[in-house]
Amino acid sequence: MTLLRMFILAGSLLNFSALPAFAENLMDNISFSAIAKSEASVGLTKSELQKWDISIRPEITMDISDDLRLTAIGLGRLETRDALEPGRPGQSMRSSLSRRGYIGDRIDVELREFYLDTSFGDTYLRLGKQQIVWGQADGLRVLDVVNPFNFREFILDDFEDRRIPLWALNLEIPISDITAQLIWLPDQTYQQIPEPGALYAITSPRFVPALPQNIPVSFSPAQKPGNFFADSDVGLRLSTFMGGWDLTLNYLYHYQDNAVLFQNKGPDNIILSPEYKRSHLIGGTFSNAFGSFTLRGEIGYATGRYFLSNDPASRFGVQNTDEISYVLGLDYTGIKDMFISAQLFQSLVTDDDPGMVRDRLDSQSTLLIERNFMNDSLKASVLLIHSLNDGDGLAQLGVEYDLYDNMSVKISADIFYGHRHGLFGQFSANDRLSISFEIGI
Amino acid sequence: MTQNKGIFPSTPAQSFFWSMVNYRWPIIIVSLILLAVSASFLPKLVKDTTSDAFINPDEPSLIYRHKIQDLFGLSDPIVIEIENENEKGIYNPESLLLLKWLSDEIQKLDNVDPDKLISLTTQSNIVGTADGMEVEDFFDVLPTSEQRINWLQGAIEQFPLYQGSLVARDGKATIIVAELIDEKKSPETYETIMELVKNAPIEKNSIHGKNQIHVAGVGAVSGYMATYIGNDTKRLNPLAGLIITIILFLAFFTPRATILPNLIVLATVAGTFGFMAAVGVSFFVITNGLIVCLIGIAVADSLHIFSQYYEEITARPDASQKELVVRAMASMWRPVTLTTLTTMAGFFSLWPTNDMPPIQYFGLFGAIGVFIAWAYSLSFLPAILSLLPKRPSRFFSTPARHKTHGRTARMMKYLGQRVLNNPKKILVAGSLVILLGAYGSSKVVVEEMRIENFKHSDPLYKADKSINARMDGTYYLDVMIETPEVEDLYKAENLQKIEALQTFLETQPGVGGTTSIVDYIKQMHRAVNENDPDFYNIPQDDLLIAQLFLLYSASGEPTDFEEEIDSDRQLALVRANMNRSSFIKNRGVVRDVEDYLKTHFNSPEITATLTGRVNVDYHWIKGIKESHLASVLVAFLAVISMAALLFRSLWAGFFAAIPVGMSILVIYTVMGFGDIWLGVGTSMFASIAIGLGVDFAIHTIDSMKKYLSEKSGSMQERLLYLYPSTGRALFFNFAAISMGFGVLLTSDVPPLIRFGGLVAIAISTSFIASMTILPALALILKPAFLLNTSAKMRLKPAAISASLLLIAVGLFTFYSNKANAQNLPEASQVIKNVIAREEGEFVSRKMTLQLTDRRGKVRTQETKAFRRYFGKEKRTVIFYTAPRNIRGTAFLTYDYPDVNVDDDQWLYMPALRKVRRISASDRGDYFLGTDLSYEEVKKESKVEFSDYHFKSLGTEEIDGFKTIQVEGLPVNDKISKELGYSRVVWSIDPEIWMARKIDFWDRNGNFLKTVTNMDIKKIDNIWSVQKIKAVNHKTGHQSLLSFSAIDYKKTVKPSMFEQRMLKRGLK
Repeated sequence: MTLLRMFILAGSLLNFSALPAFAENLMDNISFSAIAKSEASVGLTKSELQKWDISIRPEITMDISDDLRLTAIGLGRLETRDALEPGRPGQSMRSSLSRRGYIGDRIDVELREFYLDTSFGDTYLRLGKQQIVWGQADGLRVLDVVNPFNFREFILDDFEDRRIPLWALNLEIPISDITAQLIWLPDQTYQQIPEPGALYAITSPRFVPALPQNIPVSFSPAQKPGNFFADSDVGLRLSTFMGGWDLTLNYLYHYQDNAVLFQNKGPDNIILSPEYKRSHLIGGTFSNAFGSFTLRGEIGYATGRYFLSNDPASRFGVQNTDEISYVLGLDYTGIKDMFISAQLFQSLVTDDDPGMVRDRLDSQSTLLIERNFMNDSLKASVLLIHSLNDGDGLAQLGVEYDLYDNMSVKISADIFYGHRHGLFGQFSANDRLSISFEIGI
Repeated sequence: MTQNKGIFPSTPAQSFFWSMVNYRWPIIIVSLILLAVSASFLPKLVKDTTSDAFINPDEPSLIYRHKIQDLFGLSDPIVIEIENENEKGIYNPESLLLLKWLSDEIQKLDNVDPDKLISLTTQSNIVGTADGMEVEDFFDVLPTSEQRINWLQGAIEQFPLYQGSLVARDGKATIIVAELIDEKKSPETYETIMELVKNAPIEKNSIHGKNQIHVAGVGAVSGYMATYIGNDTKRLNPLAGLIITIILFLAFFTPRATILPNLIVLATVAGTFGFMAAVGVSFFVITNGLIVCLIGIAVADSLHIFSQYYEEITARPDASQKELVVRAMASMWRPVTLTTLTTMAGFFSLWPTNDMPPIQYFGLFGAIGVFIAWAYSLSFLPAILSLLPKRPSRFFSTPARHKTHGRTARMMKYLGQRVLNNPKKILVAGSLVILLGAYGSSKVVVEEMRIENFKHSDPLYKADKSINARMDGTYYLDVMIETPEVEDLYKAENLQKIEALQTFLETQPGVGGTTSIVDYIKQMHRAVNENDPDFYNIPQDDLLIAQLFLLYSASGEPTDFEEEIDSDRQLALVRANMNRSSFIKNRGVVRDVEDYLKTHFNSPEITATLTGRVNVDYHWIKGIKESHLASVLVAFLAVISMAALLFRSLWAGFFAAIPVGMSILVIYTVMGFGDIWLGVGTSMFASIAIGLGVDFAIHTIDSMKKYLSEKSGSMQERLLYLYPSTGRALFFNFAAISMGFGVLLTSDVPPLIRFGGLVAIAISTSFIASMTILPALALILKPAFLLNTSAKMRLKPAAISASLLLIAVGLFTFYSNKANAQNLPEASQVIKNVIAREEGEFVSRKMTLQLTDRRGKVRTQETKAFRRYFGKEKRTVIFYTAPRNIRGTAFLTYDYPDVNVDDDQWLYMPALRKVRRISASDRGDYFLGTDLSYEEVKKESKVEFSDYHFKSLGTEEIDGFKTIQVEGLPVNDKISKELGYSRVVWSIDPEIWMARKIDFWDRNGNFLKTVTNMDIKKIDNIWSVQKIKAVNHKTGHQSLLSFSAIDYKKTVKPSMFEQRMLKRGLK
């Protein structure tokens, strides 16, 4: 009875004839698109099928008003081999609102991004689950640490898929020639490291503590920050364009995305206690073009970093230190249709400890050569990432061809080299040849 | 004849001069004929003393100013002031009748635009009447009665527009502003006006106080400058000649060594300026300085030759005159040639590094003059000398090195002993000079004020100061207001903007007052409201404003507002009167006003551009520092590389550079501490000082090498030989040149005084440093290039490379600067019209790219593109909207008006989620997979004027449209490489000034591609291409760009062109 009355009331309030028009209007302001992708990789060492992923990434945008837009991007993925993330990986490192859904062992679904864009005058706001990218370097991370990464495929995955989007508030306020970006990230989601047994599980002693064989090891639950406000991350970036230079000044107060593995060594057992630690990161970036060259760089100073230490004197098997790191990159476009880019990354810890597993100064260099053919419809590229400390590295070769406007095929090879203890060398058995198809809808 | 037992002539040089002397009569005759021929051109020499002559004719601010001149007839007027210090000021019958008389007389002058004469006698009063408004000329009734004079005074006091601009605010002065028809004739006009002033009916002992007349204004400055400098140089040049003659006489004490060099000076000056007249280059204000320069330089060669000649007489008392001449020439031709080359390089470096034509020509003709002096010294001088009987000079009775006769030789020897005994002290002192110089250089400022070219006691200078103190100012900063539609300036909102601009301008330092049509409108508004001061404002009603104009026209002259607004009521000129012309003081104002215009006048409804003399001056003076530094650098490098080549040692290059480097630093110190600014005149000193000063170093190094190669004596002893011989010659060389320039110190023209003084100081420093620092350094460092006796001075390779270098630079600059001016007025005008084609301040449009490969495979991409001008800077942003895999890609460009500044470009790649800075130098790269280059996409069917030399080829009909074919060849290889083309042919439709078809040839000369502009339509009154097809004939690939939803009216926000927009994407 009451329900009926309400219906009548609602009907009289709403002009029913306007409803279809409203819906039509709404539909006009909604756009839908999707990218479907299938990628298969064959291992070169054992020539087995390493992976065969089929994914779909739908995207919906809705213009609610002239100044209000809602964007949602999802991801559904079938990993037919179930080798990258065997079973259903734990999600304790993710906040409850940022978790994935599993359908069986092989399918996972995720709301990747979901945000509202709006602006007040010149001030712009993006509110919701999103990716925030800082820095000038490609692939090397000094300032690009706002979002945590998922290392399910180590660093072979696209950037887009590697970053884990976070719930955040992102405010951009122009103040004369400077744009201030204020970010607030209450989402306590951290790096996703493949679990033991996964194809790209980390084994390098640089990251995995060397523990005595005969003493039992147990894990205590990870000490994860839990306070919505007190444990949120905040950051400020000031950027400007001055005298031809793009300059930014960055500050981020955040939890480092990797848990620190404290080792409590007892006489007859070892308890590993993962704990997330706070850090201040202050840094800046610059870039400018000179003739055919583009110079870009970023530098960052991070406090409270932890690195593994074998020093018997170190109580928990880790060493606390500040870290200063930078990337310097030089791009060259002086040859027609070619893009050549070289980068040098160096990281220096301020408190060196003789037992520290990493070197005091850690250096990596990258070299990218890309060439376009046939009016940009065919692209070939070579990327070399090389660790100057360990002499190991990764070479990636790829050829991508646009079959149609919205369909492309890519053939690529990823080759790891160097000692098994190195960051890249640890995967030297994982060299692979891949083919992927991508269709835009 | 006197072949000295077959050992003479023994060298090729001797043989050469021997045969030359044998042909002396033909040489003398040809030399004299050439002298006569070049002198015959001299009467053709044209003087150009306008300040615009200093500005590169392509300078945009100058071009714009000419446009204003055409539109409003306003440029650089002559301003005549009548001043009366009496209590009632000019409001007395005598002053006013004098004003009437003067105005009428000036209006009658040939070169004065009678319609543009602004004076109380030509202006009208606007007053309210019962039925509206009445326009009455102030001088409708001659103001002779006290009543009429009081009326006039009252009317002016009620008319704010005229206060300060026409009548001094205290009533003590009034001005007549006379616009000239031809600025180049300003000297004559100024003289005529001064004549009028002299004959003006002025009552000496009047009861109304004494009337004084002052004449100033930029027009007068230009006009008087010619006379002023002309008079000055008429006195200076003979004086310079006289001084040089005295020096020559003191040096040799013989008539021949005094007279012959003067003949060479004559030939040099006549030859240089005759050549100048023959090729039609004008004689500019600063060209006066060149005469004195050449007098000093032309004698230097003969000075060294005579020195050697007299030494030869002493060494070979039995030789014949002919042999002595030949020997002297054979041993001096090398150093003389080398110093000529270095001096030429110094002058010449002004040509490519400067864009002020007077300075360029100063450099070019300076170099030519030095060359003529050299040629005459090496041919005419020995020819004549060999005719004269042998006669020694009393100063050369003993061999040079042992010479103790003569005061100069003794003085130089004494100097040598002091230097060689204290080499370390000398070097310390030298270092201190360098340090002081470095500090002094930091204090040099760039400044230029033409009025400061006059002595402070000069009537024109006083007039300028007086008028600018009393009135609002005679230097104009103008703002041109433009609106899109006819009668837009009747709109109250537009007028309010103009009023606000005037208020802003009036707050600027140095601005005495402003005038614009708004002042008249306010006056009219008050008039129709019974002269109620409360109505001295802009009416809110657009219709009322139009009516005011209508009412005015009922009784006023139709041409009355010609100087403020055009007849379509679409364009207006706002004029700010400034009372100073200082670059340093005005540059802040110019920048502030530019900023103001950028923020307040950037809508499609109303735009504004800064112009006027003050703005033009700002724009060209701004470049003085850069061109000065460039010319110093080029001259310096030329000197170092020449000396290095000559002595086959880089160290020798640096050695030679030390004295000139020090002289430049000393000059900067003098300028820095003496408040001498770096202006037009002074910016040239350095190159010339380098070119002249290096001679001392080269002679010194050459001589040190010679004496150090001798086998006997300590190094110190051997170096001492330098002083009485070469040192003495250099002393007279120094004396001749520095006193030649020193003559300029007696000039009446302050910039010439400064120029002469500075060069004299530089020469002195070079001389002293060559005589002290270089031997001291040699003694301490013992450099190999001095001691290595085997490596003789290699003249040939050095001279050949140096001459080749000079010729190459010369050809290059001549080709790049002149060639295009000569053969292309027509084609370049076509291209200029294309460039000037209206594009609208901003545009938004959709662009679809259809890319088809050889096999017919088609890819389609959709974009939205926006473009907006920020002043002259053009920003473009393109957002890709489809297909899905590239959606979100965005491309942003800032294209700067200065062609030498690379664009700034950014690319947003959604896959990386990062805005990436990309380099923009590769203009010829294909734009994102299309067949159009970045340059073509950016230029939107236009072209960069400075990239090509243009030539008209003929006409061609395309799709029934008649087009003009213009060929463009890249100006140099670098540009050709950048663009990727060796040749481009545009088929330009003169109806719309847009190419309908463009053909391109690649770097190897192969036909590369054809771009066709199709579906050209007028949208929002702007010709717009709707389809561009580009076919690459080599790859078979083609691109079709289709534009839709083209909109020039919808404002594109400035924030659209920020990097963060790329990331955020398009709504």
